[in-house]
Amino acid sequence: MITAEQIVELVSGGLPGAKVEALDTMGDAAHWRVVVVSDRFEGMGRLDRHRLVMKQLEPSIGDGKPIHAVEIKPMAPSELG
Amino acid sequence: MEWNAEKVKETVQANRVVCFGKGSKNQPMCGFTHRAIAVLTECGVDFEVINIFDDPTIRPALVAFSNWPTTPQVYVDGEFIGGSDIVLEMFESGELQKKLQSSAAS
Repeated sequence: MITAEQIVELVSGGLPGAKVEALDTMGDAAHWRVVVVSDRFEGMGRLDRHRLVMKQLEPSIGDGKPIHAVEIKPMAPSELG
Repeated sequence: MEWNAEKVKETVQANRVVCFGKGSKNQPMCGFTHRAIAVLTECGVDFEVINIFDDPTIRPALVAFSNWPTTPQVYVDGEFIGGSDIVLEMFESGELQKKLQSSAAS
């Protein structure tokens, strides 16, 4: 089991100051959608953004780990509508 | 046959568009693989799907090649472009179609 708060904490740990939102998409605490807004993403390509977020979550993902699947939406503040 | 980073490289260079995922093109076995295949199908390009369940050495070879821990992994013209989130985002912005068209022309 992992909670939205724990996911927010994990991601924020690698991206200080980021605004992180974790949504339990299937209500099973295993499938998550994580929206991250950070100024670190400004001018950064998609792959590097995802890698940065994944690095924080990876130890918790996989067989026997609390996260089964995760969708990541990384955004720079300038991209917010 | 045993997979390694070199074989991944050969595969993505021999095929213009490749998706490594869980399951086959007609029978994806994971929601994200399904999504990536649906997007590529929608783009109307020919693409190869490599099922990572076909051989236990594919997954570690992929991770070693792309430094990307998850599947699906989509490659265009030998270049890793992303997993299902990125592929969907690029499709929605029209960027993916553009990339596929330009690589089709070359």
